Amino acid sequence: MTNREHERALDLIAERGLEGINSSETAWLESHLAACAECSEYAALTESTGRLLRSVAVTASPALVMTTQARLRARAMYLQERRSRTVLIAISFCIGAMSSALSAWLWWRFGGWVAERVGLSSAIVEPGILLFLLLPAIVIAGLLLAFPHPVFEGSLMLASAREHEGEKR
Amino acid sequence: MVATAFSSLVPMETEESQIARGLRRRDPDLLDALIEQYQHRLLRYLLHLTGNRAVAEDLFQETWLRVLEKGHQYDGRNRFVTWLMSIGHNVAIDYLRKKNPRSLDELQDPEDGAPFEPPATGPSPFDMALAQQQHEMFDAALGQVPAIFREVLVLRFQEQMKLEEIAQLIHIPVATVKTRLYRGVMALRPALTGGAL
Repeated sequence: MTNREHERALDLIAERGLEGINSSETAWLESHLAACAECSEYAALTESTGRLLRSVAVTASPALVMTTQARLRARAMYLQERRSRTVLIAISFCIGAMSSALSAWLWWRFGGWVAERVGLSSAIVEPGILLFLLLPAIVIAGLLLAFPHPVFEGSLMLASAREHEGEKR
Repeated sequence: MVATAFSSLVPMETEESQIARGLRRRDPDLLDALIEQYQHRLLRYLLHLTGNRAVAEDLFQETWLRVLEKGHQYDGRNRFVTWLMSIGHNVAIDYLRKKNPRSLDELQDPEDGAPFEPPATGPSPFDMALAQQQHEMFDAALGQVPAIFREVLVLRFQEQMKLEEIAQLIHIPVATVKTRLYRGVMALRPALTGGAL
């Protein structure tokens, strides 16, 4: 008997349970098993393993199922809320960006109108408008640099430190 | 159960595509039904993979949380149970790697390996005791089989999965599944031929 025949027999033994093998393959396997003690033993062991594994009863407790279902519902709700928040933030950002662009354009036109009325040159008016538009951001940036404690150390840095501490543990 | 719950809505749709649609919506009722339906199979698989009931129960919950979060990735083309088991497989692999990064096979602590629940049937107390003893011995023998072979044995014989499905689930070729099946069965040989089983 060749190695190829043994390999074919092992393949057919593996497949005959669920995949199913045709009648000619079954006949060939039966004749091979009758002549080959090694493959015949493997076939018997496969059958015993399957029988024993199928008879093992493992059941999930009702408490585990209920806990899992409750956790999943809570998580699904959290994910839903997070998604809604993300959508709201995206919409707010879009509206804010559009509003800022529109405001900038209107202020620019207004500056041009004032310059024309008063008779100032554009070299003075244009930087002035830019400064006016950027002034809130510059003031906030200055305040953050001057007083970092309540904004950064109070939230972001503290959270980062806690996370670092958690990783260490 | 799931099929009957949804069949009235879309009669032409397959169960798998209904599940896929529900998972994309993160439908809590569908998830409840799926947990009910697949609770024992998933727990049994995780228990055999880890050899520890408490760990298997933790991984059970973790698997369902991943199903919730990654539900949109299930396209309904394959059986849901195969996809579920592959999530469970990945969760278990992650756990085992964290627990001990050396090797999946070396990870089972023999002291952690709680015996599986004995079968509840038997015509007489003697038969019951005998069956319980046989199962305990078989469980002990199965616990000694390396995890990669044990996993294939469980998927094949307990979960009744086709070789192709197992290959898909574990991301290995079908030929490797057959090899692992052979080696798994042969690893049980001393216990099976010892006369006790």
